[in-house]
Amino acid sequence: MSTPSALRRTAIAAIAAAALLVPALPALADATPSAGASGGAAGRSKTSFVIGMKNEPDSLNPYVGVEAISYDLYQLMYDYLTEPSATDMSPAPALAERWETSADGKTWTYHLRHGVKWSDGQDLDADDVVYSFQRSKDGETENGQYGSYVDPIEKITKVDQYTVTMTTTEPSPSMLHLAVPIVPEHVWKNVTAAQVGTFANDSSVVGSGPFQLAEVKKGQYYRFTANKQYWNGAPKIDELVYQLFKDDDTMVQALKKGDIDFAEDLTAAQYNALKGDANITLHSAPSTFVYELAFNLGAATTENKPIGDGNAVLKDLNVRKAIDHAIDKKVLVDKVLQGHGSVATGEIPPLYPKLHWDPTDADARQFDPAKANQILDQAGYAKGADGIRVDKSGKKISLRLFGREDSEDSKSSVQYIRDWLKDIGIEVKTQIMSTEQLTDVIGKGEYDMFHWDWGVEPDPDFQLSVFTCDQRSTEEDGAISAGWSDSFLCDPAYEALYKKQKTIIDLDQRAAAVKEAQKWLYDNVVYSTLWNGHVMEAYRNDRFTGFVEQPSTGGSLAVQFGTYSYRAIQPYVAPAAAAKESKTGLMLGIAGGVVVLLIAVGAVVMVRRRGTADERE
Amino acid sequence: MSETTGGGAARRRPRATGLGYVLRKVLGSVLTLLFVAVFNFFLFQILPGDPAKAFAPKGRNSDPEALAALRRQYGSGLSLWEKFTRYVDRMVHLDFGVSYTQHAEVTKVIGERLWPTVLLSGTALLLAAGIGVWIGARSGWRHGSRFDRSSSSIAVTAYSMPEWWLGLILIFAFASPGGLDIFPLTGMRDSRSTLPEWLDVAWHMVLPVASLAVVYIAEYSLIMRSSILDERYSEYLTVARAKGLRDDVVLRRHALPNALLPSVTLFLMSVGFIVSGAITVETIFSWPGLGLLTSEALRGPDVPLLQGVFIVFSAGVILMNLVADLVYPLLDPRVRRS
Repeated sequence: MSTPSALRRTAIAAIAAAALLVPALPALADATPSAGASGGAAGRSKTSFVIGMKNEPDSLNPYVGVEAISYDLYQLMYDYLTEPSATDMSPAPALAERWETSADGKTWTYHLRHGVKWSDGQDLDADDVVYSFQRSKDGETENGQYGSYVDPIEKITKVDQYTVTMTTTEPSPSMLHLAVPIVPEHVWKNVTAAQVGTFANDSSVVGSGPFQLAEVKKGQYYRFTANKQYWNGAPKIDELVYQLFKDDDTMVQALKKGDIDFAEDLTAAQYNALKGDANITLHSAPSTFVYELAFNLGAATTENKPIGDGNAVLKDLNVRKAIDHAIDKKVLVDKVLQGHGSVATGEIPPLYPKLHWDPTDADARQFDPAKANQILDQAGYAKGADGIRVDKSGKKISLRLFGREDSEDSKSSVQYIRDWLKDIGIEVKTQIMSTEQLTDVIGKGEYDMFHWDWGVEPDPDFQLSVFTCDQRSTEEDGAISAGWSDSFLCDPAYEALYKKQKTIIDLDQRAAAVKEAQKWLYDNVVYSTLWNGHVMEAYRNDRFTGFVEQPSTGGSLAVQFGTYSYRAIQPYVAPAAAAKESKTGLMLGIAGGVVVLLIAVGAVVMVRRRGTADERE
Repeated sequence: MSETTGGGAARRRPRATGLGYVLRKVLGSVLTLLFVAVFNFFLFQILPGDPAKAFAPKGRNSDPEALAALRRQYGSGLSLWEKFTRYVDRMVHLDFGVSYTQHAEVTKVIGERLWPTVLLSGTALLLAAGIGVWIGARSGWRHGSRFDRSSSSIAVTAYSMPEWWLGLILIFAFASPGGLDIFPLTGMRDSRSTLPEWLDVAWHMVLPVASLAVVYIAEYSLIMRSSILDERYSEYLTVARAKGLRDDVVLRRHALPNALLPSVTLFLMSVGFIVSGAITVETIFSWPGLGLLTSEALRGPDVPLLQGVFIVFSAGVILMNLVADLVYPLLDPRVRRS
């Protein structure tokens, strides 16, 4: 009686043990899906390049998604008339092979490339271009997305199958930065105005870009297959996958493990922790981000009605100059960023070498607390007994400084700044808040200073516009709504400089005007610009090679305007096939051992249990 | 079962499982749900943030007019009462609005994420209920044995462990390149996998299910153990033994059915929490379920989506409470009499 029962139990134990291990077997048999792929992806016919991402695209529909990552995906699927070049971000031909401007600068003629096909085989021609621009102009949702590009355009006309003209009311250099994706008319005409706001565009997508959407797993990954007929050089890889990680430390682990091939937007700590891994190449490059200490220059609505409770002392240029002199930006770069950044002066980052501006040595404000104190003394802000200065009305100068909860850099920066300003007799009270709350208080003008950043686009127009009068908050029925201004600057001199750069078509002349505007902002200390950010990236050099920097002076390998790296990379082929088999063998051995052990233990226990059954019952 | 509880009086009384009882319970649940829906509205009115700015295409849309238009679309500027009537009107039509972060119908967004959560939490719950009841019954039955002593202390330790912390340890031990490296780190599928999909998903599920299940198992085993202890010296068990039944049979046929009731209640309650259950574990493992969706929706904040998930979570709990209320009298005659 006891023998068959023991056997039965042994069998159950064995099955249970096997069941527990089965899910682990793929890992063992495959030596983890990509770790052992140094000799080309064994057992897989496709080369798949996997990038870790921290945020999920909010939509694949180019008319609604606003996350930075979403725009990256639109670049894969669609083409544009022009695109920023790989070398220096200046406008380069894309779908528009070449273009002409009329003498008055108001009529633009774009000559389209011949022979470009949609992924469903149809020709891409002037009809699609006209349709895409017209839709962005007329549609409410579409215009909300691309209005800043198409609103200055008065008329869009098809001249012939491969020629399009557009006219503007004023000459506009932005006509070379029209980041409006060209979509296929024959597909999108079926998406009505009522549908477009919630149209997902996540299956059977028709595009002309270098990669086409193959599969979406929400909250997991987005898989794209290469367009091997791409007009601007077919990608050398077969697939591009964006994989989502909610936790960036896990993303770094996945890179180490070989689950992904590329990780971007690393923190300095993660970057440093990856040092010393021979299979991983690290890359730190200037990003689009510029970080600043912003001041409340006198918050008001667009109708010049004062709002908020900013400290009036910041309206005094001398105070802002003194604050800028008191901040040791070099220390912020070295300590807070651990060297991954550069000291900033102008508002356009060095990522755009043609537009970036730096003051001459004579004009530059250096870190100099003594000079800062001297400026404040001369301006009549005497120090009180406690070392804190008093303003003209005899009140102690005490300023609020807000930092952001979601940024470690912001949190530590505000502490440094607080201590530095104390040295020049200005009391600072720091507070850390969520970005939502900070947006709220800035819009209402209820702040003195805060630490934040801007991501600057290839076309500098928007960045320069945030300092204009029109971008201040608006009031409607007693409720105040924020614009994009976070300094509340409203100065006729700056307005003139902003308008000037907006209408110069010649690239070099416009660059000069853009620099002039930056110089004005610097001389008037509208911000105390702190540092130019870096993007820190890491990739598996045992899997892929051939990355391209944008700009070529040492830019990012993946965060690009365009798809230069993705089209250039290719699988890395090891000089000699490395012996990775041993690991698989070892793991299979271990797994086998564990199974046998579990079966044995199960059997012994069951037999013993049966043996003592009589006593127990 | 009525023999064992000696319910001579019970048979003459009207049964609590009658139509009136059912209607009363259903009505109570509906009222609770309505209260939650109303509360849900006011809860989100006090959150700070300007969705129009948080979700406006920064840098691409510098037009103040467009920003204002977006705000009107999101309903700012309306009075609280107008917002409330708009909300009620939508709720009546089961329309939760459009998610700010995903630009899709809230019902669709939630629908996409429901299945992974049910799969993860449901598997963990079933496993935990089965294993936990078995362990609890065994250790309660052999009170004071080595098995009891070790399993009870392990259970108390496991029960006091945060799920996400256990998850991190499991990742470190079994998935990280520094550890055994035999399970995937995160996610639900591997885009490069050559395995059949179900196997790939099962493989990815092992660690998150384990980190949830361990804590649940501890809970079930502790509850089961104490209810077995309550039954252990009952006279009907002595009778069963006196009939000459084997110890295993006494446990299985007589003690278990009576001791199982608290565990059944716990199980039904937990089923209600399946949909919301695993926010931390889903975040640790980047598991694409409702828990992760909730933490994502907090950014902004995405008010329509948050309102949607809160309603779904509450509805889940309320519904399962109702089921528990309705099922309990069928299982336990004592409830029927009260």
